[in-house]
Amino acid sequence: MADGFTDRFSTPDRRFGRVLLTFMALAFVALIAAAATIGWNTLRNQDYTAEVVHTLDVRQAIADVQVQLEQSETARRGYVLSGKPLFRTAFARTDGAIRPGLAQLTRLTADNPRQTARLSSIAVQFARLERLRAQSMALADAGALDVARRRFADDASVPTMRAIRYRLEAMASEEASLLVTRAERQRATTRLFFASLAVAAVLLGVVALLSLLVVFRNHRDLTGSRDALASLNDTLEDQVAERTADLSRANEEIQRFAYIVSHDLRSPLVNVMGFTSELAAAADPLAALVDRVEAERPDLLSDDARLAAREDLPEAIGFIRTSTQKMDRLINAILRLSREGRRIITPERIDPAALVDTIAGSIQHLLDARGVTLVVERPMPMLVTDRLALEQILSNLVENASKYLQPGRPGTITVSAREQRGRVIVAVADNGRGIDPRDHQRVFDLFRRSGAQDQPGEGIGLAHVRALAYRLGGTIDVESELGQGATFRLNLPAAYDQQDSKP
Amino acid sequence: MNAHQSVGIVMIEDDEGHARLIEKNIRRAGILNEIKHFTDGTQALHHLFDAPDGPARNGPALVLLDLNLPDMSGTDILVRIKAEGSPLKRTPVVVLTTTDDKVEIQRCYDLGCNVYITKPVNYESFATAIRQLGLFLSVIQVPEVEA
Repeated sequence: MADGFTDRFSTPDRRFGRVLLTFMALAFVALIAAAATIGWNTLRNQDYTAEVVHTLDVRQAIADVQVQLEQSETARRGYVLSGKPLFRTAFARTDGAIRPGLAQLTRLTADNPRQTARLSSIAVQFARLERLRAQSMALADAGALDVARRRFADDASVPTMRAIRYRLEAMASEEASLLVTRAERQRATTRLFFASLAVAAVLLGVVALLSLLVVFRNHRDLTGSRDALASLNDTLEDQVAERTADLSRANEEIQRFAYIVSHDLRSPLVNVMGFTSELAAAADPLAALVDRVEAERPDLLSDDARLAAREDLPEAIGFIRTSTQKMDRLINAILRLSREGRRIITPERIDPAALVDTIAGSIQHLLDARGVTLVVERPMPMLVTDRLALEQILSNLVENASKYLQPGRPGTITVSAREQRGRVIVAVADNGRGIDPRDHQRVFDLFRRSGAQDQPGEGIGLAHVRALAYRLGGTIDVESELGQGATFRLNLPAAYDQQDSKP
Repeated sequence: MNAHQSVGIVMIEDDEGHARLIEKNIRRAGILNEIKHFTDGTQALHHLFDAPDGPARNGPALVLLDLNLPDMSGTDILVRIKAEGSPLKRTPVVVLTTTDDKVEIQRCYDLGCNVYITKPVNYESFATAIRQLGLFLSVIQVPEVEA
């Protein structure tokens, strides 16, 4: 599993991911720049369009003034020539429109100094023309058409008219050239707009592609991780089962080892003990012989022979016997422990209080002999566990409690139990001589004991108790101080479960 | 045991010391029959089935069998003796071993062993057990071996 994860996030792949993200960020920045360019371009385009419209307006205004000017001049000439009132009204209408037209033109071209200069010149010329026109119209009104016609031929109205015309044409041509440049500029910005748009489109495509890549990669990573997790999940149970099988195998191996070792140790021990007995039996006739020789022929008996037959032989045999007997007990203890580990647990519903009563009944004579009082606190929570194992544990603990008394203090043993989150804690408390805190772990080890060695025992009981507690899926510990009594706490699952059992 | 024909005792026991102690105590019970001792299974099987003076060819016998042998398990010998068609299938077999495992005891009886005795470690008990076995041997009838 771990290999899969390392592969997925290996260095080249990660570098590629970073490069990809950098490119994507750059592409986004470029896209934003393109958008800004487009925005700015659009604003400029608006300006240019406004300028073009303005130029067209100016041209329109110039054309209007030209038309009014020519029409009014035509009307004036018609009136002076014919005196018809039709021309008089036409003149009044068109002549009146010129000044407002010029004023509008002045307003429109205020930003252009050349046009303004031309306009002011036009204004001067037009003022003169207006005067001349007023004189000739007044003469015509008075009926002096001849005078008016003569005056017209003499006065400066024709050249003035021409001057105005020229200037207006100059203005028009200026506006025309302005229109050409402005239209060209507008087209340029439009081209730029489209170019920016194209660039933005390309960038958008790139960003989309990169995003797709990133998303795809993320998706692939996620899928990979999910698959790895799923397969890890699938194999987890198998792995646990495998480990458990390994542990059980190791445990069985140890059990078998203990069994074989202790079993095979017994075989030579049988010989040692057997031949020791044979030796002891053989020593008896020898001792009898020594006795007879001493009585009948004392001169034949040496001190060494007498000592050997009467003291050395029995002493040696005695030591061999006690040692082999002790060894036998130790081997039996190991055998019993290993056999206990192989025993099949049969859980059943048990009232610990009733069990303690049974135990008390079976060792009542011991308790009486030692002057110990046993108190069972009721009620106790029910337990589902192996009866024999629990009985052995509790009877060991009660027996120990009655055994190691504080001199001069009558023994009292209190057995209590309480339930705590699916566990039952059975406490066996005494007021005996207590256990040195340094020995609290040691007392549970095989062949280890604590305190004054004034009581018979091999240091097997508590090792057995702990092995049984483990077997039932529980634990045992002790709380004690020297001279203050001891409390052994057995912590068992309220209901035995095969899974809980520590191998 | 059968008076008209001497019944040989075949002792299969890998531990010399045990063998000696067993023999001593059997003798103390007043049994005077010949005791042949083998320390491994191969030799014992050869004697039982093939030797000219062995029980298969030459009269009835009683087998004292230890289960822990160097070259095979005592139960293998038991299987051979009690097998269907074996000339020795009615020969009494006394399993005498240190193992007191319940499963092992059951297995031996299932295979047809006649008596199963656990060697007591304590010598007094051991001696008593063997002597009682001797007394038992002195009264039991051993069948003839089929030709």
